[in-house]
Formats: sequence, C-alpha cells, structure tokens
Amino acid sequence: MTQPTHSSSTGSSNTHAAVSARVPLWRDVVVLKWVTQVALLAVVLGTMWFLASQAGDNLRARNINTDFDFIERPVDIQLGEGIDTHPDTGGRALWTGMVNTLRLSIAGIAVATVLGVIVGLARLSDNWLVSRLASTWVEVLRNVPLLVQMIFYFSVLTTLPRVGLDTGPINGWLHISNKGISMPRVFIADGFYQWLVVVLIGAVAARFVHRRRTRIHDETGANTSPMLWAIGTVALFGLVGLFVHPAFSWLGGVFGAVAELLDSLPVIVPQVVLAAAAIGLAARWILRFLAAHRSARGHLALTDDDWFRVIFTAAASLAIVFLVVRWTGLSSWILNSGRDLFHVIEAKFDVDGAARPFDAMRPDIVQKGKFPNYGVNGLTLSLGFAAVFFGVVFYTSAFIGENVRGGILAVPKGQTEAALAVGLTRGQVIRRVVLPQAFRIILPPTGNQYLNLTKNTSLAIAVGYSEIVQVGTTVFNQTGRTLPVVAIWMLFYLSCSLTISVIVNWFNVRMQLVER
Amino acid sequence: MSELSSTTGNLEVPYTPPPVTPKLPPREWIRANLFSSPFNSTLTVVSGLVILGILRGLLSFLFNPIRQWDATATNLRLLMTQAYPEEQYIRVWVSTAVILILSGLSLAVWRAGSAVPLSKVGRNLVATGATMALLTLLAPFSASATVQWLIASAVVAAGGEGIRRFSAIRSGSVGSAGSVGSGGSSGDDGRTVTTLTLLGVALTGLVVSLWVVPYGHHSFILDRTPRVMAEPGTVAMTTKLPWTVMLVILVAAYFLGRSLRDRLPTNATRATLLVSWLLAPPVLLYLVLRDPSFDMGHVLGTDLPIFGAYAVGGAVLLSWLTRPTTGEVGRIVAALVLIVGFCLFLQPMRMIVRIDMLMLACFALAAPTFAGGQRARRRYVVGWLGVLGVSSWLITAINTPSTVDVPGDFFMGGLSLTLLVAIFTLVVSFPLGILLALARTSTMPIFRLLATWFIEFVRGVPLITILIFFSIMVPLFLPRGMHLSELAAVVVGYSLFSAAYLAENVRGGLQSITRGQHEAAEAVGMTTGQKTVFIVLPQALRAAIPPLVGQCIGVFKETSLLAIIGLFDVLYIARAVMPNQTEFMGSTRENVLFVSLIYWIFAYQMSKASQRIEKRTGLGER
Amino acid sequence: MNDAASNPETSSPAAAAAASGQTRDLSGARDMIVCEDVSKWYGDFQALDKVSATIKEQEVVVVLGPSGSGKSTWIRCINRLEVHQEGRIVVDDVELTNDMRNIEKVRSEVGMVFQQFNLFPHLTIRDNVTLAPIWVRKKPRAEAEEQAMALLERVGIPEQADKYPGQLSGGQQQRVAIARALAMEPRIMLFDEPTSALDPEMIKEVLDVMKTLAHSGMTMMVVTHEMGFAKEVADRLIFMEDGQIVEQNTPDLFFSNPTEERTKLFLSQIL
Repeated sequence: MTQPTHSSSTGSSNTHAAVSARVPLWRDVVVLKWVTQVALLAVVLGTMWFLASQAGDNLRARNINTDFDFIERPVDIQLGEGIDTHPDTGGRALWTGMVNTLRLSIAGIAVATVLGVIVGLARLSDNWLVSRLASTWVEVLRNVPLLVQMIFYFSVLTTLPRVGLDTGPINGWLHISNKGISMPRVFIADGFYQWLVVVLIGAVAARFVHRRRTRIHDETGANTSPMLWAIGTVALFGLVGLFVHPAFSWLGGVFGAVAELLDSLPVIVPQVVLAAAAIGLAARWILRFLAAHRSARGHLALTDDDWFRVIFTAAASLAIVFLVVRWTGLSSWILNSGRDLFHVIEAKFDVDGAARPFDAMRPDIVQKGKFPNYGVNGLTLSLGFAAVFFGVVFYTSAFIGENVRGGILAVPKGQTEAALAVGLTRGQVIRRVVLPQAFRIILPPTGNQYLNLTKNTSLAIAVGYSEIVQVGTTVFNQTGRTLPVVAIWMLFYLSCSLTISVIVNWFNVRMQLVER
Repeated sequence: MSELSSTTGNLEVPYTPPPVTPKLPPREWIRANLFSSPFNSTLTVVSGLVILGILRGLLSFLFNPIRQWDATATNLRLLMTQAYPEEQYIRVWVSTAVILILSGLSLAVWRAGSAVPLSKVGRNLVATGATMALLTLLAPFSASATVQWLIASAVVAAGGEGIRRFSAIRSGSVGSAGSVGSGGSSGDDGRTVTTLTLLGVALTGLVVSLWVVPYGHHSFILDRTPRVMAEPGTVAMTTKLPWTVMLVILVAAYFLGRSLRDRLPTNATRATLLVSWLLAPPVLLYLVLRDPSFDMGHVLGTDLPIFGAYAVGGAVLLSWLTRPTTGEVGRIVAALVLIVGFCLFLQPMRMIVRIDMLMLACFALAAPTFAGGQRARRRYVVGWLGVLGVSSWLITAINTPSTVDVPGDFFMGGLSLTLLVAIFTLVVSFPLGILLALARTSTMPIFRLLATWFIEFVRGVPLITILIFFSIMVPLFLPRGMHLSELAAVVVGYSLFSAAYLAENVRGGLQSITRGQHEAAEAVGMTTGQKTVFIVLPQALRAAIPPLVGQCIGVFKETSLLAIIGLFDVLYIARAVMPNQTEFMGSTRENVLFVSLIYWIFAYQMSKASQRIEKRTGLGER
Repeated sequence: MNDAASNPETSSPAAAAAASGQTRDLSGARDMIVCEDVSKWYGDFQALDKVSATIKEQEVVVVLGPSGSGKSTWIRCINRLEVHQEGRIVVDDVELTNDMRNIEKVRSEVGMVFQQFNLFPHLTIRDNVTLAPIWVRKKPRAEAEEQAMALLERVGIPEQADKYPGQLSGGQQQRVAIARALAMEPRIMLFDEPTSALDPEMIKEVLDVMKTLAHSGMTMMVVTHEMGFAKEVADRLIFMEDGQIVEQNTPDLFFSNPTEERTKLFLSQIL
C-alpha cells in the first residue's frame, strides 16, 4: 500500500528523456521560500498599518495629540532632585530625568562590579564562614524581586531619625537621616579642563614610556614593570598639571575659531559629506562582498541570500541619501550643535588663571524656616536614590558574583597545574593564566548584567526618584502626550543599551584578539 | 534493566556522585576550614562578627514588640486572594485541591524524590538545633521565652542525634549484609529515607501545628465600625480544617498515583497529566473561580453551531490534508485557509469565528509534518477537536458575565493574581519564544531580520515601559467595539517581553545542535517541519533547560512590577493597601518583608529544582 | 518490486557474479546516477569543476582522492545536502532541481551514511531507525518496528535496540546509521567516509556490513580511504583532485596500471 512510488523504468536507458523541463512555481523550493517570506513581511506590515490606522482614528476621535511640541512648551513640574529641579519645558524635565538615570546607572555599575567581584571571590574562598556568608548573600538577593527589595530599603530608610542641626553619625562630615545621606563632595572646578589637557599629554607620554620599558625588558630580560612606569608617568603629569595647567588657556581661542568656521559653512556641506559617506560605505561593503564571492577565474557565485543582502544594503544607503537631501533640518542641526559644542568648550577654557582643577566641600545643615534641612554643599543621596542605588547594586552584585565564580571555575584545572609545573608562583598563575582566561568568560554575561542594571533603574518610579520613567509619567499626566513620551523612553533606553553593548563587544573582541 | 525500561524517553546519563571526602573530626575541620593561616583566621573573626551583628539586628527587628506582625496575620486572606467573596471561598479550595491532586499524581508518576541517608537527616537536625539555640541567645527575648526556645532547640538537636545514632547502628549491621547481598548499592550509607517522605512529614507537622500551636486568631470584625480581633488560641476553623483536607487530598493523590503508575502505560499517563497541567490554569480560572453564568439560549443558538461547523469542516479538511498522497496541493489549500482567516478580520464578524479560522489554518499548515497512517491521522483530527473544544468553551466562558461579585475590576488579586499572571505569561510566551528563536536562526533573511529586530528592541527597553505602554495605550490600538481588560493587555505585553528573552535562551539551545543532525534528518527525507519537531527542538529545549528555568524565575519575580501600574498584586496590597488600614498604619516594612519571604520561597525552590535537573542530565559536565 | 534492501537473499545475475569474484558486466544496466558538468563554488573556492560521471544500477563505485579534492562535496550534492550551481544531476530518472517533489523523491530513494554517524542522541536505537519510515514513508508503527528489528539483526546488533546512541561504541553507532538509512528502502546508498572516525578494531565490523550490502546488489557510492575495501568490492574507482575527476577505472587496472601522473603520485603516497 504505502510502498515508495518508484518511477518504473520507462524502458529507455536514456535518462535524459525523462527529465522534467520546467519546475512548476508552487513546487519550486526557492520560489516557495521567497513567497513565504514576502507574505510574512506583508502580514507584519499590514498588521502594523492596521493598528496604526486604528490608533489614528481613535486618537482623533478622542482629541488626543501625539506631537512633540511639549518639549518646547513650558510645564509646571517640580522634580525631587537633579540638574534642574524646576525645569522650564517638558524637554528640560525629560533631560533632567535622563541625567538622573545615567548618574544612577554609572554609579551603580561601578559599585556593583566591585561588590560583585568581592562576592564571587568570597564564594570561592577556602574559609568556610566567608564562603557561606557570600552564598547566603547571593541566594537571598537573587531570589527576591528587585522591586520588593527597593521598597523594603525605602521603607526602612524612611524610619530613620529626622534631620536636626546636630544630626550624625559624624556631624559636619556624614549625616544620615530621613532626608537621605549627606557626605563630603569632591567636584571638578573651573580649571579642570586645562588640567585634563595636561593629563592627556601625560597619557601620550606614558605610551612611549610603556613601549620603551617593554623593549628594554625584551632585550635584557630585566624586570622593568612597564605598566607601573606608565601609570607613574600619568600620575606625574597629573601632579605637575595641578600647578602648570593655566598655561593651556590659549586653547579656548582655537575652539572658538572652529566654532566660527562651522557657523560660516553652508548647509550643503554636511549634506554632501553625509550622502557621500552613506554611498561610499555601502559601495565599499558591496564591492568587498562581491570580491569575496568571486573565484580566481572571475566566476561570481551568489545565493539568494547574498543577493538579498546586496540589494538591501544598496537600498538602505539610497534611503539615507534621500533622507539627508530632503531633511535639511538634520544638516543644519549638525552644524548648529557642532558650533554650540565648540562654543561650550571654548567657555570651559575661558577661566581665571588661578582657578583650581578640583574642589571639595563638606556637607552642611541649614535651617530654612521651621525645620532644618541639608544644604547644597555636600553630596546628598536622597532616600529614593539611596533605595534604588542599594537595590540595584546589591541585586546586581549577586548576579555578577555568580558570573565571576563561574568564570574562574570554568578555567580548566589543568591550566593551573601546567602553570605551576613550569614554575610560576601562585600569584603569577592567577595573574597570568587564570584571570585572563576567566575574564573572557565573565565579560559577556557581566555586560548583560550592566544592561539589566541600567534598565532596572526604571523601577525607581516606585520610590519616587526622578529618573526618566518617573519624570516621563509626570510629563504625560500633565500634557497628555503618552505616545511621544513612551517613544522617547524607548529611544533613550535603546541608545543606552546600544552604547553598553558596543563597549562590552569592543572589550570582547580585544580579549579574543589577545588570545591569538 | 527495569530502570532502563521505566525511563524511556528520558536521556539518562549515568550520574556518578563525586568521590566522598572523608569526614574530618570537628576540631581538625575547624582548623582546616577556618584557621588555616593568620589571614584566614582574621577573615573568620571579621566575618563571624559581621554575621553575629547581622543576626542580632535582624532578630531584634523581628521580635521588637512594636512590630505589627498581626497586620500580616489579619490580612492573610487579603494577601492571598484579595477581595474574593467569603461565601464563595469553596471555589478557591476546589482549585487548590485540583492543583494538589495533579501535583500528587505527577510526583508519583514521574517518580520524584531521591533517597537521603538517614544519618544526613540527623546531622542536619542537630545543626538546626544548634542554630536555633544560637539565635535564641542572640534574640532579645525575656528570660522565660529564652528558656522555652532553648528547650525546643535541645529537643530538635536531641532528636537529630537520636536519628543519627539509630542509623549508625543499623548501617553497622545492614552494611555488612547489604554489601554481600546487593553489591553494596546503598549499604554504605545505612538507612535512607526519600525526600518525599521528609516533605510529607514536614507538611504534616505544619498542618498539625495549626491545630495545636496557639498562633492566635486574627480577623476583622465587620460590624458597624470594622475593628480587629486578635484572640489567643489556635487559628480559626476556616483555616485549619481546609488545610487538613488539602493535606489528606495531596497524600491520597500521591498514593493513588503510585498504585496506578505500574498498571497504566507510562507514556500515556504522563501525556494525560501534562495536558491536564496545561488545561488546569484556564479551566480553574475561567470556570471554577469566575463561575460564568451561561446564557444557554445563546450557547445553543450561536456557540454550539459555530463549534459544530468548525469541528466537522475542520475534521474533514485535516483528515484529507494528513493523507500521505495529498502532496503539495495540501500546502496551497492550507495557505488559502490562512488567507481566508486574515480576510475575516476585514469584515465585521464574531471574534470566535476569526480565531477558530486562524487555529484551523495553523493546524492545516502543520498537517504535512504529522501526515501518516490511519492512526496518526485519527490522532491529529482528535487533537484538532480537543483544541477547538477547549478553546471554544473558554472563549464562551470568558465572554459571559461572572456570578462572582467583587469590588474592583477583577475578581482575583494578591498572590493568586501574581501566580496567575506568571503562569499565563509563561504559557503564552513559550511557543512565541520558540517561534522567534526558530525565525532568528532560520536561513530565510526576512524572517531572521524581523525576529532579530523584535528581540533586540524588546531586550533593549525596560519591562516597566512596556507594561505602562500596554496598560495605557492598548485600547487606542483596538478596532472600535473591541475591548480588552487592562489585565489582559498587560499579560499580552508581558508575554511579548518574556518571549524575546525566552527566544534568546532557546537560540542558545538551537546553536548547540550540530550541522550533522540537520543533515542526517534531511538525508532520510524529512521535511523542514518534521526535522524541527522531531530532531531539532527536542534536543535544543533539553540543552536550554537551565537558562529557561532561570527565565521562568525571572518572569515570576518581575510580576511584582504589576504593583507599579496599580494592579492589586501581593506587593501592592502589602505596600499600599495594608499600611493604610487605620489599625496598621506604618506596617510597610513588616508586610514587605513577608512578601519577600513568599517570593523567596518560590524562586529559591525553582532554582534548586533547576540545579537538580542540570546535575541529573549531566549538562554541566558536557 | 525490487526490494534489495530488506531481502539480502535476492539474487540477481550481477550480484551472483560479484559474489563469485568476477568483474561484472553492467553495460546493459540502467543509469542510476548521471552527473553532467556539475560545478560548485564556495565563495571564490571552486569545490567541483565540471564533474561528469554515470553510475549504473547495482554498481559499486569508490571515490578516492586527497582531502579537499571535492569527493564529499560531490556525494553530498547527489543528496542535495549541498546545492550545485551548474550542470545537471539526475538520480533514477529524477533531475535534482528546485522542484520540491523531486527533492523529496530523491532523498527518500537515496540513503546516506555520514563520517560522524549523526545518530539522533535523544532517541533510542529503535526510534532512530523507525523515525523516518513512520513519518516520511507513512508506515504503521508496528510494521516499521518489525522492519527495524530485522535490519538491526542484519547489521548484527539487535540486542541494543533500547539503548541510546551515547551508550554504543563507534562501530555499533555506524552500523545503526547504516540500518537507519536502509530502513527507508533506498535504491542507492551513499557513504561519506564511513570509517574515518572509527578506531581500527571497529573498522572491520562496519566494512563487513558494507560488503554484504554490496553483494546483495545495492547501488553504492563510497568515499573512503580503505584501499582493501576498494580492491575487493568496487566495480569502478574514481580518483578526484581539485574538484575534477582525474581518472576512473576498474580496481585491477587502477592499481596496477594508472594512466595519469597525479594518480601515480597519490597511489605512491598511500600504498
């Protein structure tokens, strides 16, 4: 019944006659493949179009606006903290929220990394008590939702004693109260940018020193510790720079001249540059792609997939050119913001020669009206900030700790044994053999944790810290522009994620190159 | 040999336990692990002081007389089910019982649990007793309470020591006989006890304690002015009686499962149980807990005819499509059904007609993969009828008004809402995640691009922005006349989010499958669908179990974000509802601590289970 | 119906001749595989360069050549695991084009055995063998299992049916792979270096199975480095280098009197 349908031999031993001439379209695998894909694309685009048109109708029916004009319009918002607690416009408010998010993320990533490494090493410790403590830390923090932790920290912090003129623990240096934590602050002062120039010169010098010490080491075999020398050079320049930095105040004029130049350029210049870059990059990519698929005898063998890529790249570059030409606003924006940027830098160098690069202040408590409160001198972590900060740092440290532990355990035992066998000391084994290999395993998942930390700062909305989501909610509650605000959120977070993954990937690639 | 036949369908790699390190006497153990070097000793002292400080702080927080723990005790029902009406509570218990019956049967049928040496149990009990004594000394108790707790700890420790001694005696005599008799399979460890027995003992102890230990009887009295009642004594009858019944049901179900598992074919039993687990959440939620009041006239006049038409038409179509001789004409017909399904959305029509048509299209498209002999075809058609029946029933039930009358939008809240959202999100996002992963690894560039864009976009933004977007904006995107409750919209958004992450985990599994597997499947003539279903996915999903379980834990934990968008989940009640009751002002810390304990227990158990699976299948070692 | 796979006793004149050690006369037999000017590129590397050959029914052809010479690529093109870019391949009167129906037909009539076995590790040996007959050939399960046991008996490992591939030795796995391919009742068997991943003591058990198969009248195309097998079983040897067929001849003439320089060099290196 279900025997295979052998084509019974037609009698002719000449196979060629039996060959079908033309493949019907509905049986052609390549045609089917493309029809399916195009159909899916059509369905997706159709659904999106359908939803968008529904949304358009509904929005019009309910008289809801979706334009971005709130960015320029005045709003009446008061933010808890940030660069501008009484922003004039919606855009300024969102910008304050973004800066707060970035502050939280960067500080969180730094502290969580340190804490995570400590936790991971502690879990591997020979000391029973220490490893138990670390594993309890991990198991407790990892398995309780971050939001619950944050709210718990917040509710604990709110029960701290009220702020008074003699609030401790160390009055005048460190204050902990229900208004948050206030501590001394070191901040960059007017002379900083000139000093930075000195340090940059120092970094270039350090590179030469490093190379030179390495060469001496290679030639003589002496222990020249090039890394220490390089760091020392930078430190030396930094130290000297504290005194000589006013010598670089003339740089301000240079930046001012660049700004003037950008101001005088016509709009067509950036347009041409952008279009040429888009076409040039696409053309270079396509030519290289074709060259890679061309045989020595000049035979070009491309699959459907390859054709798709080539066409897609060409189409994308043309779309960019079209965009650049049609939308002159983009080019003039580039010119204007470039000019503004250089003017800002110019202003940074336009300082009194005696300005210090750094300054420090102690926290203070001032009595405004009835109740005492923290002044503006110290570095104050508000309750919301502290709750979110401790939340993301502790939570992420548990995950990073697990990554560190896993990465070190993943280095085969044979590596350590082999290194010991050739006579390296234990410290050298860890520094030269285990860590470089473990780092490569640890880095990618830890990069993911950095992404998660950045995204998790959005939970601050639950404890009222003014980061982008909280500010955005306030803005759309006041202006009714939900859709634009959500779009700004997503764009902001996407660019944060992209930045972090680019940095992590850059390290990743470097690590892999070092390997070879 | 009997072991082999019982575990067919499971890739059993023999797991050899790591060599047992010889036990050191306590003093040497302490020296080796705590004071091996000056540095190590310093570490021990410092971390010991830190631990003591933390414990002391925690205990004095917990047992401070100003703590309002009766806020939690009084509001337990609110935390679990929010405002589910008292007189309908039997529905909640029935649902719990169904889940417990399924659990008991599954534990038996999958032969869960492993043997633990009795001596280890004894040692753990001794350690527990010692820890209890230490904690008692650190806690700010009155003298009499301290003595009572110390006695309790001593009893526990003595019990543990007794068990240890007992097992040592027995292993002395059994060990020699066992090593001769059964090749020393477990003779060295002495007597063992299964983890299930331990679990049973622990649960029984908990339930018995409800009857004997004076936890106190906390409740609100809804008189003219509501007030709190806190009486000494054991808990209310409405708590202890149902839980006793639940325990009996669980144990009975387990033993029923044990007696059935040897008489019924294993694979069929397991499949039935899996389907029951899959059906349990929607059926319990929409039929038992929600109690729809069916308009029988509408059901008979509209719903049944639609079902009948699709059942008959679909069965005929599918039995033709699964015929091996149908060939590529079948694909064209299936594509036509899909197009018709999409066209139905352009016309005003009952939603159920559209959904059924799309489901039929999916079945038709998958038909060539499962085409085969008479039995295979019949099974496929029966599968269609089952899916159609269940979904029609559920759709009808969802669109019918509920008899359960509660204040607020939704009749569930608290922990049950948390679990509900987690389960529905996982059930929806799992197939979606697999499809996305397949698309992302596909050879078709447009599939790949769309999947990659979607996944990377979703993974780049925080969950809370997606939840806010869906809870506020979804009504705007729906055609006029169509409604979606806020909860449903949120579950849809959460599922899309979770699917992107699951897809990345599944992709990891897919990439672990060698090219040779694909080629071998193609070389024996399988279609792409058959290759995916029979060869690629089973292996990929198995390889991806650890990250998938991790993702499930993540989904469960992040349901707490529902509190931010104002749904009454357990965290919202603990943080925003209970501290606003006049009796329990400012009890946030206690409530949140209790909620974190609930979350921790669930998440920790899941992560332990995942580690066990990982160890058993030896994935970590390969 | 010619059912050579499941009936090893089926005797045809040619098979009888082969069994008696004579050189077979296959001039009257049908063409099973016809390749005309088949070419294939990977990027700018040309893997196959106008390969043309015809393989008759019941013929056993062994393909030789240094590594990277395109042997494996060629044999995989015949099953369309690789897609050739130019030329024609006709298998049992069916041309390999983009036609779905043709691809399905060819794949279900051509069995393939891989160097790395490629058994499905999540299925038992029995399920490995029955999977394709049930879902591709649409056989009832009972019939497929009966056939699977017969095949496992034929390759000598019926007692392993309920084990998983990971529990078997390499030689046993390769024999299961042969049984899995035979379960589809193919008219042609392709072997892609079936013994290269095996320990020396296991090679013999696999080669024995292949010899039995050849003597039963199966059309076979074998890429291998086993010269003994080539001498003993092959009707014809094909030598490839740089994607081209350099020389083809009967085993006797090929080994005793190679015409091409490159063949001589190759033989001097391996013999």
